[in-house]
Amino acid sequence: MKKTKTAVPKQKISGAKLRAKIYKYRGFYLMFLPVLIFAIIFSYLPMFGIFLGFTNYNGIKDPTFVGFKNFERMFKMANFWSAFTNTIVISLVKLILTTLFAVIVSLFLNEIVNLHFKKVVQTIIYLPHFMSWVVTASIFSLILAPTNHGLVNTFLVSIGVLEPNGMIYFLGSDKWWRFAYYIINIWKETGWQTVIFMATLAGINTELYEAASIDGAGRWNKMRFITFPALANTILTVFILNLAKVMNLFESAFVLQNDAVLGTANVLETYIYYQTFNSGAIPNYGYTTAIGLFKSLVGCVLVLVCNQWSKKVREGRGIV
Amino acid sequence: MKKASKFVASLLAGSMVMSMAACGNDAGNQNESSTPQSNVESTTPAAGGEESTPASDSTEPEAPANEVAKPDKIKVMIDGTVPTQENYGDDFWKKYTELTGIEVEVIQPDHDAYYDVVGQTFAGRDWPDVIILSSTYYTGYASEGALWDMTDAYASSDLKTRHDAKAGSDTVVDSLRINGSLYGMPATHGNGCVTYVKQAWLDNCGITSVPTNYEEYVAMLDAFTNGDPDGDGVNGNTFAVAAAGFIGNEAPYTNYLAEFYQDAYPSFMQDASGNWIDGFETDAMKAAMGRLADAYAKGYIDPTTLTNGTGDCRNKFYSDEFGVFTYWAGTWANNLKTNLEANELSGELVALPPIAEVGAYVDRITPAWCITSTCENPEGVFKYFIEAMQDGGDVQFLFTYGVEGKHWSRAAETLWADTEKAKTYEEGQFHFLPNAEKPETAYTKAHIDPMLALVDLEAPENSVTETALAAQELFNANCKPAFIVPSTDEMSMYNGDLTTLKNELIAKVTMGEMTIEDAYAKYEADGGAEWSKTIVDSLNAQ
Amino acid sequence: MKTKKKFPVFRIVNGLVFILLALIIIIPMWKILVDSFDLKTAYGMKMWPEKFGLAGYVSVFRNPTLSRPLVISFITTILGTLLALTLSTLGAYVLIQWEMPGRTFFANFLLFTMIFNGGMIPTYLVLSSLKLTNTLLVVILFPALNVYNLVLMRNFFEGIPQSLFESATLDGCSPMQTFIRIVLPMSKAALASIGLMYAVTYWNDYTHYKLYITDSKWYNFQMKLRSVIMGSDLPQSTGGATENTVKNAAIIVVIIPFMILYPFLQKYFVKGVNIGAVKE
Repeated sequence: MKKTKTAVPKQKISGAKLRAKIYKYRGFYLMFLPVLIFAIIFSYLPMFGIFLGFTNYNGIKDPTFVGFKNFERMFKMANFWSAFTNTIVISLVKLILTTLFAVIVSLFLNEIVNLHFKKVVQTIIYLPHFMSWVVTASIFSLILAPTNHGLVNTFLVSIGVLEPNGMIYFLGSDKWWRFAYYIINIWKETGWQTVIFMATLAGINTELYEAASIDGAGRWNKMRFITFPALANTILTVFILNLAKVMNLFESAFVLQNDAVLGTANVLETYIYYQTFNSGAIPNYGYTTAIGLFKSLVGCVLVLVCNQWSKKVREGRGIV
Repeated sequence: MKKASKFVASLLAGSMVMSMAACGNDAGNQNESSTPQSNVESTTPAAGGEESTPASDSTEPEAPANEVAKPDKIKVMIDGTVPTQENYGDDFWKKYTELTGIEVEVIQPDHDAYYDVVGQTFAGRDWPDVIILSSTYYTGYASEGALWDMTDAYASSDLKTRHDAKAGSDTVVDSLRINGSLYGMPATHGNGCVTYVKQAWLDNCGITSVPTNYEEYVAMLDAFTNGDPDGDGVNGNTFAVAAAGFIGNEAPYTNYLAEFYQDAYPSFMQDASGNWIDGFETDAMKAAMGRLADAYAKGYIDPTTLTNGTGDCRNKFYSDEFGVFTYWAGTWANNLKTNLEANELSGELVALPPIAEVGAYVDRITPAWCITSTCENPEGVFKYFIEAMQDGGDVQFLFTYGVEGKHWSRAAETLWADTEKAKTYEEGQFHFLPNAEKPETAYTKAHIDPMLALVDLEAPENSVTETALAAQELFNANCKPAFIVPSTDEMSMYNGDLTTLKNELIAKVTMGEMTIEDAYAKYEADGGAEWSKTIVDSLNAQ
Repeated sequence: MKTKKKFPVFRIVNGLVFILLALIIIIPMWKILVDSFDLKTAYGMKMWPEKFGLAGYVSVFRNPTLSRPLVISFITTILGTLLALTLSTLGAYVLIQWEMPGRTFFANFLLFTMIFNGGMIPTYLVLSSLKLTNTLLVVILFPALNVYNLVLMRNFFEGIPQSLFESATLDGCSPMQTFIRIVLPMSKAALASIGLMYAVTYWNDYTHYKLYITDSKWYNFQMKLRSVIMGSDLPQSTGGATENTVKNAAIIVVIIPFMILYPFLQKYFVKGVNIGAVKE
């Protein structure tokens, strides 16, 4: 991961030169020290726990070393791989859709001239982020209900798309569940994601727009050639960073699931949850650590691959 | 670059040393916690409780075999079912100390994370002396040797005499026995659900007697669905029954739609000869799925049952969307009534005695008060804490009603003055005080629900509402305890997948997306039958 | 607003689309708002409360057990946000020193912590051996280093023209002086947005409270309101008549601080900056 633009020729510098260089940067090392200390204490110290993934450990008796047994057990579970694929698909599509929507909304939000209106709209669309998932789920199960209470179904019936007795049980059917899940996620997170994009847009030098206007560039061209490129860097960074968490999908899927849709809706974390919940045993932390480790490895691979790709796109710079 | 790596390497080395230190601590805990374990193992064959003071504790004076020393201080780990700090927990424990002379140190994690914190605490060094555990964790920690075996202490205790004196109490205690041994003590019945029917709906449909069998029950549902039970002049804009999901996710699973399931049980159970079987594979289950599908197709059951939460069900019940609701017995009977009345509806509910096909409602397995195996004086803690809680006297009164002036009072006063529900009490009249966290409601208990107690206690007059008492008495008279299912390796391996599959099939058959035959064919094809057999075999091999 | 006549159509359409969008976003929340003012418990959507009353809010605000958690929330949010911002700006600033020996190592060192973790029990053992459990320190310190936000911050810093750093160094500024005089003032939008993210995280935090704090006198506001919102679904709940109203009022109350805070921060990112004014 040598990403310093000039790194290659500098590899061979002598010890003395390096020492001089380190001395030159001494102030920066000092500034980095607090960050390093936090990382070591709160992240690296607990990482001794990773070895538990290779043991059986329930918190009472000493951990007993079992090699790769926990991983074997995980891979052997009947629906493990289907839960794994569900996770990747649901999580990635969700990530792509919410990012895409946030970008589009940000770009057009940026075009609103009336500051007052802009602020009001921004505030409204960011509010759903503060609703807990449990509350969100209960509201949407009402809105999407296949009864006269369900706004969406009544609307579709009133405009003649659906027959009154042919209402769709969006959250209760294999066919529709994912679609509904994505919509709910877009509703909840788009506004929040625009915060970071709007902040990036605020960093664009206004002179650029002025210069472009003088050159006769229209709205679309300015959006295409100034606004979007400025945003691209942030989009890529946010996207890659989120890849690290792709496997952690839990709460949003959990609260929206039900018995009938688990075939398409069961993700790895919820799968493991049901597995533990129905086992009637106290948790085996060795096993849960092994699952965590597996998820981290998948996240790691995704990040590395995309980072590599981003380096190509962005002339040698990865996300960090 | 090289220098930098060295610098970082030394940092890393430092962090590793530190983490080793943490490891060392960790190992230390385990050593400590393994001591009592070996104790448990050694005492089990000796079948004596007296030995279990850790041997390493030489400073502690040996208590004489037949005289139990009173502990000075007890550390207890409890969930939100015991008064929390916000609900005068400090006053509660101060009163306990006053009554018993024992100091109590309380660890009371948030309700949501209780078992996470329990797990962390067991992994750490400082174990509490006493801990409340639900049935799953109770069996789990007991089999790991983390809990003290109180079988003998209980057998010779006065508590047993008191339990024997009250009908049904011994069954509750026995439901916690694991292969005959007792590692925890119930303080109450587990409680369960009864079916409530709105009297107004019965009246509007001209039904004069409540159903006593399934046929009459279905007739009632039909009237509630196709007639005009809510009296708004429109026929067929209501449905009869709602629940949160077609099947519960915790034992006893079938309790929210008991009338349809009847004798069917979708999980592992013992048949008449004591063999373990999978209830899902019985004909009773197939018949139950048929009843559910039929009722769903006819519109008796709420069409959004699959996605309902319990809160949704209650709100629908309060806004008169449906009329038959199976919910908790006791206090909730009164809650449902007052909520209906607040919505300007009739609050009169009939608690339905179980219909003939159901036979009995199911009593949930009650949480257990356990003593950990590191407790230095388990006999003392058992006698002065666990037993005292159900002494039929002052301590039980405290655990049932709480602290005078905080949870209850006999002073002359008017509560909720200036509101519609203002209540005036005379001097000497017992009444509960408003809940500190929800001032618009009053307490109904401290820890032990007076209607669910296992030991008789002279109750103050009017300490429970009639509605609640009636529902509870009906339940208590018509209940049977739930199955306690041991855990096996095969169970933890396959039961997750198996339960998911079963629940999916039940939901799809009920909603008419699948026939019963197709469902069982899928059950075979997806490996359900095979997993089930593996688990049943492992249970029978025990 | 007298600019080019060419695009009034775009502006009107754009405005209308956003009005529609705002409506779609509001509808589900409208239900909660209506229910929080309605003394009648009802299932289903309503435009207006059937039986209007403030009992829900009165109950939330009169609750004597809420004032202390509110203070705790403010303290932890303010201290935590400041600490977290300090760590991420410092870290981000160091990570844009492309020539610094070991930079790549440091970057990967941090990235690693984002992907791998030791699990619940080991984390607890470390925190408890540091005597952090059951103190407010744990909820302030533990979440303070957020690599995700640090990288975002670095992304913003990258946009600062390199020439500014060079001229600062020539003027004899130490790294710390450059950081304070150039980097921070140039990054108001970044500080506002990432600061907001931290504030939201600290304010909404309950995971760390429920896992590491067992003494409820250290609970924050979110933790308490959560028990109001969730507690009503427990079998042992008291199930009072206005419970649904109180629950919905609590959901609204949780959002209020951010409806107040956001407009203050918005000024930093609704309008672009003119870098030319700072540069040279």
